[in-house]
Amino acid sequence: MLFHSIDFAIFVPVVFVLYWFVTNKSLKAQNWLIVVASYVFYGWWDYRFLSLIFFTTLLDYIVGIGLSKAEKPIHRKLLLATSMTINLGMLGFYKYFNFFIDNFITAFTFLGMPIQANTLDIILPVGISFYTFQTLSYVIDVYRRQLEPTKNLAAFIAFVTFFPQLVAGPIERATNLLPQFYKHRTFDYGKAVDGMRQILWGLFKKIVIADNCADFANKIFGNYDDLNGSTLVFGAIFFTFQIYCDFSGYSDIAIGTARLFGFDLMRNFSFPYFSRDIAEFWRRWHISLSTWFRDYVYIPLGGSKGGTWMKVRNTFIIFLLSGFWHGANWTFIAWGALNAMYFLPLLLTQNNRANLDIVAQGKNVPSFREFSSMLVTFGLTVFAWIFFRADNMGHAMGYISGIFSASLFKLPNFTTVGLVATTNMFLVLFVLLEWFGRQDEYAIEKLGLKWKRPFRHAFYYALIAAIVWFGGKEQEFIYFQF
Amino acid sequence: MRKFLIKTILFTLPVLFMTIAMELLLRNIPNDYEQKKAYLDKHAAEIETLVLGSSHSYYGINPAFFTSNTFNVSHVSQTFKYDYAILKKYQPKFKSLRTIVLPLSYFTLYGNIEEGAESWRVKNYNLYYGLNVSGKLKDNLEVLGNTFKVNKKRLTNYYFAHESAITATELGWCMKREIKKTNDLVETGKAAELRHTAKEADTALVNYNIAILKSISAWCAEQNIKLVLITMPAYKTYSERLNIDQLNLTINTAQQVANENGNGIYLNFLNDPRFVEADFYDADHLSDIGAEKFSKILNDEINK
Repeated sequence: MLFHSIDFAIFVPVVFVLYWFVTNKSLKAQNWLIVVASYVFYGWWDYRFLSLIFFTTLLDYIVGIGLSKAEKPIHRKLLLATSMTINLGMLGFYKYFNFFIDNFITAFTFLGMPIQANTLDIILPVGISFYTFQTLSYVIDVYRRQLEPTKNLAAFIAFVTFFPQLVAGPIERATNLLPQFYKHRTFDYGKAVDGMRQILWGLFKKIVIADNCADFANKIFGNYDDLNGSTLVFGAIFFTFQIYCDFSGYSDIAIGTARLFGFDLMRNFSFPYFSRDIAEFWRRWHISLSTWFRDYVYIPLGGSKGGTWMKVRNTFIIFLLSGFWHGANWTFIAWGALNAMYFLPLLLTQNNRANLDIVAQGKNVPSFREFSSMLVTFGLTVFAWIFFRADNMGHAMGYISGIFSASLFKLPNFTTVGLVATTNMFLVLFVLLEWFGRQDEYAIEKLGLKWKRPFRHAFYYALIAAIVWFGGKEQEFIYFQF
Repeated sequence: MRKFLIKTILFTLPVLFMTIAMELLLRNIPNDYEQKKAYLDKHAAEIETLVLGSSHSYYGINPAFFTSNTFNVSHVSQTFKYDYAILKKYQPKFKSLRTIVLPLSYFTLYGNIEEGAESWRVKNYNLYYGLNVSGKLKDNLEVLGNTFKVNKKRLTNYYFAHESAITATELGWCMKREIKKTNDLVETGKAAELRHTAKEADTALVNYNIAILKSISAWCAEQNIKLVLITMPAYKTYSERLNIDQLNLTINTAQQVANENGNGIYLNFLNDPRFVEADFYDADHLSDIGAEKFSKILNDEINK
């Protein structure tokens, strides 16, 4: 069930009414309602994998209880290892099995020892990377004694499968989300209205910006051989906005929907394209994943405390893992490696925490220095996204060669000039709204709150009209494939 | 909570009102599916020859040139599933039906209207034929079947420009074609071949379509109706490019099904030399002249 489908538009009000009017007297009933709704939501996409998610949930629930009873370190380690092996094993099988088989065949063939092996026709269960990491965070936190294991099965299943964030995050921490299932929830008018506003903004980002940009990006990446360098630059920029608005739009809808049910999910994006360096970008992009890797991989490896070699090693590990998490393709690994190379100079010169504040805070216009830094960071990001978007390394290299050719200085060749102009107009409007809302949780969080109601409503209706009128060709959320 | 619900309902009311108005206005536009259903409702008992299939038969078989009472119920992208559903719905009314013409084109066994660019047509079978072929909401509402832009254009064309959306004659043949940017036979041949050649072998889909084809054949045998399976003429820029495996599967299946119940014949006109450049609208569809020529030839074959 896609967030921007009519199915979801009916599903949410039905669950909302049942939640606040039928089960509101009992916390247990509310939690079980969330469980049922979440399983319906997931099963709508593919019911065959419901048993898989149930198995993961049950396994980590039992491991959690086991950890609460086990005192000996060896027993605790064994329980942790069991959970990690099974969870990562399933993720590895569904997501990476064919990748490894293919690469083994290639490697052995290259070494003059051709081998015969068959890949399998495996369907990737939607959201597996997200919920696997979420349950792993629970088990690790319990193992580290940072979290009390839960005995409340309904709360735990609801935590793992909570439908707004089940298939594409934010990857929640048990320490944040699980306790919210223990407490009685009362309806908060302000929170619900804010949730609706964030959902509207998420839909605008996804349907108007991402889907329109996707149309151009797909055509340009698909026909890069026939297009000039300047058009390819536009293609990469369109993809840059597509992926941001697609994924952050999804996150906005997820967070907004959760708020309707009285939950606070963690923030996943914080205006990353206004970053002044790559370190700042990574503090603002897919925050739930970056902090997951930081807390569960980077810091246990020693973080940035050791010598230069250790810093370099840990940085590469974290970025390569992050790339590999996205998918079984060398392009994602190259994307991760490139970001590591962008990041490393900042870390080694201890400038990786130079920009912790919000750019041009309290001002309408950035300084020249801030503007130049943002532009350079944006350019580096656009370049890296080429690898992320490409089908394979050959495609990426071909695309980049196409950019750095004499045709870079020719005028872009678009066949649908009107559509490009409309999309660019919306992009400019979007960037402006993001810029002026960058100090808030999301761009329109506070926009118009002090306006008279007719003006405020007119603004919301304008967003709805843009969604209906200018929505691009419907595309699935990019992060569903991860 | 009450305040939130009331405010939300009030805020969404204008949007809901506009959506309902648009749905009603769109449903009020006369269309081919509605027209074909009306004809079947009124004249099913008189029909002697019924033409089924997709755009190939919709553009290429004109009942006006048949000597028997013929009706063309085909439409763009119509697959066996919908052909069979129409047959079953009108079964009690087909008192005079003697022949069914069913095209088996290069892409037919791989066809699935529910997926891809033509999926918006599914709603027409639900809404106007009343076939109940899909329970999805988008297949039961006009507003969700197409994008807002398309719906707006349909409303403007009908209510303001007073343009008819009907493309079929009373007997069901397509009299009004879409004006394309190019009808160049080389270009359209390449494009159609690319569009029609299956990217990956979807065995389940092929088996599903063959099973329905066999059901149609068995249904015809039960009703003592002659089943005429045909492959329509196509221009060489299309037919010469076709994947031989996919084409052979189509031809072999047609021959096998035609022989199965003793009530069928298979006529393959794909490379028929009688059809020349002027007979084609594009590389895989007949023009008006080609449709006349083909309809007369087919009528002769049926009457043999």
